[in-house]
Amino acid sequence: MKTERKELLDSLRGLYSKGYTYLVKIYAIDYVKTLNAIYVVRNLEEMKEEALEVELDPADAWVPSVMRIYKAADWYEREMQEMFAIVIRDRDAERLLLEKWNGTAAPLRKNFAWSEPYEKMG
Amino acid sequence: MNTRINIGPVHPSTHGVLRLVADIDGDTVLNVEPHIGFLHRGVEKLVENRMYMQSPTYMEKLDYAAPMSYDELYVATVEKAMGVEIKERAQWVRVVLLELQRIASHLLWLGTTANDLGQFFTLFMWTMKDRDIILRLLERASGARMFYMNMRIGGLVQDLPPGFGESAQEVLDYLEKRVKKYEAYLERNPVFVGRTRGVGILNREDAISLGVTGPVLRASGVDYDTRKYNAYYVYGKLSFRPQTRSEGDVFARYKVRMLEMGESIRLVREALDRMPDGDAVGMPVRLITPGAKNREARASRETPRGEGIMYMIADPQKPYRLAIRSPTFVNLAALQHIAKDCRMADVFAILGSLDIVMGDADK
Repeated sequence: MKTERKELLDSLRGLYSKGYTYLVKIYAIDYVKTLNAIYVVRNLEEMKEEALEVELDPADAWVPSVMRIYKAADWYEREMQEMFAIVIRDRDAERLLLEKWNGTAAPLRKNFAWSEPYEKMG
Repeated sequence: MNTRINIGPVHPSTHGVLRLVADIDGDTVLNVEPHIGFLHRGVEKLVENRMYMQSPTYMEKLDYAAPMSYDELYVATVEKAMGVEIKERAQWVRVVLLELQRIASHLLWLGTTANDLGQFFTLFMWTMKDRDIILRLLERASGARMFYMNMRIGGLVQDLPPGFGESAQEVLDYLEKRVKKYEAYLERNPVFVGRTRGVGILNREDAISLGVTGPVLRASGVDYDTRKYNAYYVYGKLSFRPQTRSEGDVFARYKVRMLEMGESIRLVREALDRMPDGDAVGMPVRLITPGAKNREARASRETPRGEGIMYMIADPQKPYRLAIRSPTFVNLAALQHIAKDCRMADVFAILGSLDIVMGDADK
């Protein structure tokens, strides 16, 4: 299910109120032209799953934090910020989760210079 | 007065390279924050640069305590992307191997956790010995001892060797007695019971909102098991019941895993009895290529640590993107919440009850 960035929080709130209370995963895919963030939520009563996909501009990649709706989003958001340089707004900007880059590198984006020495990666 | 103490990254009770930073007031934990990433190898990126059948070797090193589960999860994702049917016999053999893997993984967990909880090395030695018997079986089925890999697209690398069924039945008879013995040993032990009952309680609502999975979720009273509600292979044909408890404490998580071992023993017996004859070997490696571009695939499996899911965007030669939802990652994220306001020594009881493998969390 595709959605717009500005409607993301409302869509997730709507799903939450319909019983989709379990966050399965947040991940991103770099299609080079767009950067898609995907939110997978599950209804544990009816055993149904929904995925919300937000298309982002790679040059202006940010999403609002969904932590106020799903507590489980914490580590997924930090991981996504670190691996895709998708900025998560409206949350305490804590340290990154895995590699502790300086925040500019995006290892899982397709343009990542992964054969460069570590110091030049960012 | 508040004190901040650092635990790890190398510490016997953190089960790998995990660093915990705990703020304590006297003996009460105010906050404990896990720092992960010491074992981050960028598997999701590595996979994007390799052919499909070059990657299982990375997958089994994600969760090195249950390599076969991850191996199978990856192969199942590629199978979904290719739209391949899995041979009938191979489905039964996979169930047998995966359940044996689950018992081996739970035995390792039991030994190490009991060790953290003051049972010292007695139980650890016993469970390691029993786990070794299962590893020997898996070695016979795959040819490898440490990273036993027997999954290939559409089936298996090799069928079970002659006499495997009989040996497995003997091992299961033995294990059934041993699991009962462990339960009797631990549940009559006042130290173990005192350190687990009522400790690290995670209620149902919090378990769902924190997104925990596997035995941790089931110990909090949520009856969710992928083998039941998203049944793959022949689990739907077997008499399988998810094991749940409602207390949500460390003891409940221990008990769920013990019951799961018994359930796995039953499942393997039943699968061995009802296994059909026929060909189980998968397709040759050179044929492995999902034709279409940008084909989406998703596979979800109940690994010993919880529900592992892989999301794949498949290209003809290599995966375009592979996103891994690893069970340890979500369970470990819940530690901060569960360990709040408990005693310092209980942090390790709680951490042990989450059954973490750092390779799985860090990816």
